[in-house]
Amino acid sequence: MKRMWLVGLNTFRESIRKKTLYIILIFALIVIGASKLFSFLTAEEELKMIKDVSFSAIEFFGALIAIFGALYAVSAEIERRTIYTLLTKPIRRSDFVIGKFFGVSMIIFVNFVLAAAFFIGLLIFKKSPPDIQVFKTLLLIFFELILIGSITLALSTFTSDAFNIICSFFLYIVGHLTSYGKELIERMENIVMKGLTDMLYTLVPNYENFNIRDKIVVGLDVSWSYVGWTVLYGILYMCIALYIALYFFEKREV
Amino acid sequence: MRKKGYRYFVIIVILFVGIHLVQIQIDYRKKLENLETALVLLPGQMAGSLVLGGFKGLAADLLWLQMESYWHSGQHYKILPLLEAIAWLQPSYILVWTIGGWHMAYNIYAEVKTEEEKQYWYEQGIKFLKKGLSYPFNANKYDIYFELGWTYYHKGKDYPNAVKYLEKATKYPHPDYVDDVLAHAYEKNGQIDKAIKQWEFVRDNYTAFFDIATRMINDLKTKGKATP
Amino acid sequence: MAIIETKELTKHYILGRKKIVVGLEKVNLEINQGEIFGILGPNGSGKTTCLKLLLGILFPTSGEAYIMGRPPHDIEMKQHVGFLPENPYYYDYLTGPELLWFYAGLFGLDIDTAKKRIEYLLELVELHTAKRLHLRHYSKGMLERIGLAASLINDPEILILDEPTTGLDPIGCRDTRNLLLKLKEQGKTILLSSHFLSEVERVCDRIAIFHRGYLLATGTLDGLNKQYQAENLEDLFVKTICKFDNQQNVTTGETT
Repeated sequence: MKRMWLVGLNTFRESIRKKTLYIILIFALIVIGASKLFSFLTAEEELKMIKDVSFSAIEFFGALIAIFGALYAVSAEIERRTIYTLLTKPIRRSDFVIGKFFGVSMIIFVNFVLAAAFFIGLLIFKKSPPDIQVFKTLLLIFFELILIGSITLALSTFTSDAFNIICSFFLYIVGHLTSYGKELIERMENIVMKGLTDMLYTLVPNYENFNIRDKIVVGLDVSWSYVGWTVLYGILYMCIALYIALYFFEKREV
Repeated sequence: MRKKGYRYFVIIVILFVGIHLVQIQIDYRKKLENLETALVLLPGQMAGSLVLGGFKGLAADLLWLQMESYWHSGQHYKILPLLEAIAWLQPSYILVWTIGGWHMAYNIYAEVKTEEEKQYWYEQGIKFLKKGLSYPFNANKYDIYFELGWTYYHKGKDYPNAVKYLEKATKYPHPDYVDDVLAHAYEKNGQIDKAIKQWEFVRDNYTAFFDIATRMINDLKTKGKATP
Repeated sequence: MAIIETKELTKHYILGRKKIVVGLEKVNLEINQGEIFGILGPNGSGKTTCLKLLLGILFPTSGEAYIMGRPPHDIEMKQHVGFLPENPYYYDYLTGPELLWFYAGLFGLDIDTAKKRIEYLLELVELHTAKRLHLRHYSKGMLERIGLAASLINDPEILILDEPTTGLDPIGCRDTRNLLLKLKEQGKTILLSSHFLSEVERVCDRIAIFHRGYLLATGTLDGLNKQYQAENLEDLFVKTICKFDNQQNVTTGETT
């Protein structure tokens, strides 16, 4: 346990020192810029747009950090051969994988918290303190980011960097198009095709589950039970990603 | 090693079964809470959202900003396709429907010359509002009902329909002026008793409307007509 | 009893369909406690492959490897082993002491022990003056030295060094050599690979010569010199390799 933690902490420390957190500054600039840009609108419209821009930016930059953070966490160790010094220490390969997962999660978490705090500060400044729905949206975005990170981490145990990036972004887009897929499945008549697409629907990470921001910004409510089930979905899928990572990394010759 | 791999495989399959069950729950809840993005599948739209990925709200905002600039420069016709696009991207954004309907039935209505054209745009406005209502998440809010009722009442002088939609609007949480407009609509529709009852309700519930409601009730009872 | 042992250890790399490259072919090695054992061979002869197989970084195609009687993936065994990879490259954004603290943590050393150990090692490799420098600013020699310190952090029974003197200047080489001899006096077992013959000649008790994945000869330097009628290590090295190449060409042609 302690060794996993050390591996994670080391990953996190390296990313902090590489100044990945500067991406938060870009985020801040975009959000501030947005709030200035929209100031000619009515208060209601402006607030909606600030929320839209902020949620999207938190998700987008978060996804970038998750994908590149997770990618770098494993592939850099292998490429720079620092992994030799790790695997010859008394740590299991599973310690390494789970430690990396911790490290990537920490990177995502710190970035996320800073961005979210900035966003909430802005809302308070605009005299519209965030309600519980805003926090639900943020919570789901956070779980989505962790899931994105763990999937990239899993891919990095058996693919090349280039393929991994393409695959991660591809899954990101497909995962957001799942609602179309669901509609297609419901309209299908061929049982075999229906079964196959239904299976595909289950296999693809359903990132769209985590997307409630389009509803929240226009004032719709989302229940806690929806949030709960989606969090459970996220955790289950993370476990799958970790198992895949463990499976491939146990066999991997570095 | 091979035996161990088999175990991983079994665990992953079991987890996916779990995922499948959870996804069924989530889909069910999406339907229950109207979170489903019930969109018509058209090839062009599919491509558009491929590019947008998870950022439909953002795209809607950009279009909205463009709409604002057309609006303020008086280019009302250019607004129409934008409205359609925003409504498609974010059908739960209720302002799109109400403002869109108002644009057609009022702004463009005012701009066109002939009576036929005016009638056409009035109908277009009504149609747009009704389309907004067809989304379940908009159907349990007062906004569009009120906009419809008001347009029927004020622009179309179609009082039976005005009463119908304003009554629906009052069933959901709404601001005070909705009740006020409904009372006027009752009167114009010839339902004097209901109009009086409605005014009494307004008088008793909204202090801001107390004076006008008292006067209206008085006028209705004495002259049978209150609204000029 | 042998503290490091391989039995018919074989590693084939599969490059596409039916194309196999021999990394290591049926190697039997026995390394005794307290000796300095040198693996010699030209580049690509299987030295590094052998070390990686012993440490569980690679998995053997067939055969077995044991350190202290335990298989390569054994956690307990690694507690007593120190390893210095070839051309070590560490976490760019750490300082020397931070790197050592990290590894000390992985070995589960308690804080007091780790602190003493780290100070001692930094002094030993003469990096105590560069405590605040990030590793990305280190020179090649400094990296080699911090690597050596890192491999000694757990005060290992067995030290495995892959090309420990590449990148070191003559003084660095001498210091390393002296350090190895000192460690030997403390009873440590050292397994090192090198293609610098003179280095090996000066420190190793016994040597093994690898070529194209095959173990050609093992034994003490003197014994081997006698066996192959060679005058010195260089002569021996060339003779064994030429002999092997000739045999291969006569019997089987290419090894691939």
